[in-house]
Amino acid sequence: MALLHLKAITKEYQLGKTTVRALRGLDLAIDAGEIVAIMGPSGSGKSTLMHILGALDVPTDGLALIDGQDLQALKERKLVALRGRRIGFVFQTFNLIQTLSAQRNVELPMVFQGVSKRERARRARDLLARVGLSERVHHKPSELSGGERQRVAVARALANEPEIILADEPTGNLDTESGQSILELLRDLSVEDGKTVILVTHDPEAADIANRVIRLRDGVVASKARHIGEASQTASPDGVESDSGASASGQGGDADA
Amino acid sequence: MRKLWDFFQLAGQSILHRRMRSWLTVIGVFIGITAVVALLSIGFGLERTVTDQVTGVFGYDTFVVAGGDMFGGGPHSEPEQYALDIDLLRSIDGVKTVAALRERNGFIQAPADENGVTPPGAFMPVIGLSSELLTDFQAFTGELKALPGGRLFDPGESNVMMLDEEIAERLGVEVGDLVYVAGDGEGLDLEVVGIMAPEEDASEDDSEDGFGMQFRSGSDGDTIYVPFGTMDLLWNEEPDVLVTLVRTKEGYDVDDVADRAEAALNERGSDISTITATDISAFIEDFMTTISAFLAGIAGISLLVGGVGVMNTMFTSVLERTKEIGVMKAVGAKNSHVLTIFLIESGLMGFVGGLVGTVLGLGLDLVASRVLERVFDFPLAVVVNPGLIAWTLIGSFGLGALAGIWPAWRASRLQVVDALRYE
Repeated sequence: MALLHLKAITKEYQLGKTTVRALRGLDLAIDAGEIVAIMGPSGSGKSTLMHILGALDVPTDGLALIDGQDLQALKERKLVALRGRRIGFVFQTFNLIQTLSAQRNVELPMVFQGVSKRERARRARDLLARVGLSERVHHKPSELSGGERQRVAVARALANEPEIILADEPTGNLDTESGQSILELLRDLSVEDGKTVILVTHDPEAADIANRVIRLRDGVVASKARHIGEASQTASPDGVESDSGASASGQGGDADA
Repeated sequence: MRKLWDFFQLAGQSILHRRMRSWLTVIGVFIGITAVVALLSIGFGLERTVTDQVTGVFGYDTFVVAGGDMFGGGPHSEPEQYALDIDLLRSIDGVKTVAALRERNGFIQAPADENGVTPPGAFMPVIGLSSELLTDFQAFTGELKALPGGRLFDPGESNVMMLDEEIAERLGVEVGDLVYVAGDGEGLDLEVVGIMAPEEDASEDDSEDGFGMQFRSGSDGDTIYVPFGTMDLLWNEEPDVLVTLVRTKEGYDVDDVADRAEAALNERGSDISTITATDISAFIEDFMTTISAFLAGIAGISLLVGGVGVMNTMFTSVLERTKEIGVMKAVGAKNSHVLTIFLIESGLMGFVGGLVGTVLGLGLDLVASRVLERVFDFPLAVVVNPGLIAWTLIGSFGLGALAGIWPAWRASRLQVVDALRYE
C-alpha cells in the first residue's frame, strides 16, 4: 500500500463569489522513500495538492489516505498530530520565526509535542549539524543567509523525525548554489534516511533529483513518470519522464547520479 | 506544565521583539495600576494612622457614651446632649471609672472692682467636668494646665471654677477671686482656682489630641469650667451631658460592658449610644470601603482603557503574525496551543504593567507620606499591603489575558492554509 494515496480528489474553495475548483478528480499514489517532484504552471493546483498531502487541508471530495488514514475522517486533533509527527514542511519563504534563534526554531515542532527541553536542544543541535549549521545555532534568521535559513527550515522539518518531507518551492528564493545544496540535502534525506520527499517546484534542477515527476494541469495529473511497483494503479494518461530507473522504493538509482 | 513554560518563553520573546509597542501598551496599563495602588495604599495608611490614634486615645479599655447615634448624623453633626444617671453607670459590672462633661449657658458676673463697681454680667458657656476627666483621661483632654499660681480642681471639690485665660482677662479676675454664676436656681459665688494655659497651637489639636479637645476647641477661649457636681447645684440634673468616658475594669470585654451600659442607660430614659474603639474602627473601615469603592470606579475606567490598549496591540500582533501562526500550526501546534501562547502574551503585558504600576504606586505612596509629614505635619503610615500587591499582580495578568481573549481566539481559529498564504 502506498504511503500517500489520493483517489478522485476534488478541492473547491470560495474566492469571493466564485467557486474555484483547484483539483478535479486527481489520482496519485506515492510510496515510502520516494522523491517525487510535482510540477505545473501557476493555478494548476500544485499548492492545493501540497496542502492535502500535508494534512493542512482536507479535500472536498474523494479519498485521501495518509498511511492508510482517511484524511476526511480525521478530527482536527488527529490532523494536528499527523502534521506534527509524520510530516515535515519546508516552505519557499522559509517561514522561520524571526524572534527565535536557529536552534529554537528547530525546537519549535518538538515544543508542541512536549519533548523535554534537554532532548529538544540535543536533537536541534544534531539536526543543525546535519545541515551544516553547527556554528550558527544561536543566530536569529535575520542573521543568516537565504541558504542558511532554508537549511534551518529543513532541520526544523526533521525535528519530530517525520516520514514525509513536503517542500514547497524550496529553492524558489535561493541562488543556484544554495538551491543546489538544499536539493542535495533533500535527496540525502530520501537516500540515506528513507524519508519520502515531495517537492513542489518550478525548478527543473529540483526535478532532477526526483524519482518521479508529476505534472499537473488544471487540477489533474497531466503526466507522471512510470513508477514501477504497486502505486502504478493510478489512472491517468501516463507519460514517462523520470530520470534514472527508479526502483520500487526509489532509494536505489539516482543517488550520487 | 512543561509546554506552558515553553509557551511563556515564546510569548515573552515575542513581547521583547516588539519592544517599543509592548512598552507603550504596558504604559497604558501601569498608569491605571499606579493610581490604584497609590490611592489604596494611601487609604490603608490613613486607616492605620487614624486607627492607631484612636486606640492610642481610647486604649482598649475605654468607651464613650454619646447622645443619640453619634455616627448616624455624619461626622460633623453637633453632639446631642443627654440625661445621664451617672451612679447607675458607675454601678454597672465591669465599669471602673466614669468621667462626664456637661455644658450649659450660665449668667456670669465678675466681682466688683477696686472702685466698688460691679461689671455687668453676661451669658457664657459653663462646662462641668468630672475630676476623673483631668486625672484619668488625659489622653482625651490633652494636657490641661493651669497658669502659674493656679491649679486644676481637686477630686470632690465644689464651688470652684477654672477659666480660659482670655475670658479671665476680659472679666478681670484672678486666682482667688469669687465669680458669681447663676443657673436655673439661685446663683453661687465660685472661687477661681486656676486660669487655663492657652493651647499651644489650636490648629494642631486634631492631629495631636485626637478626640481630646473637642470640648475646648469649640469654646473659643471663653469657657468657664466647674466641677461636675457643681453643675447639679446650679441646674439640677438635666439632659445636658455632652460626653461621658468610661474605663472598664481589667479582664472585662469593653464591647460587652459598653453594650450593657447602653442598654441600662437607655432603659432609664437616656437617648445614648456607646462607642468603643471597635466601633470607631468599624466606622473608619466603612468609610474606607466607601472611598475604596469610589477609587475602584476610577481605577476601573483607567484599567478599561489599559485593557483596550492591550486588546488593540494583540489584534495587531495576531494580524502581523498570521503567517507565523500558520507555521506553528503546520509544525504541529493545536488551536489550544496558539490560544494559550497569545493569552500568555497579553497576560504578560498586563502583568508587567501591574508590576511597574505597583512599584510606582508604592513609590507615590511613600512620596505622599513624606509630603504630608513635611508640609502638614501629619504622620501618614506607609502600609505595604502584601494582599494588595498579590491581587494587583494577579489582577493585572488577568486583565491582560482578558483583553487578549478575543484576539487570541481569532488567532487560534485561523485556518492553517489561509494563514500560510497570508502576506
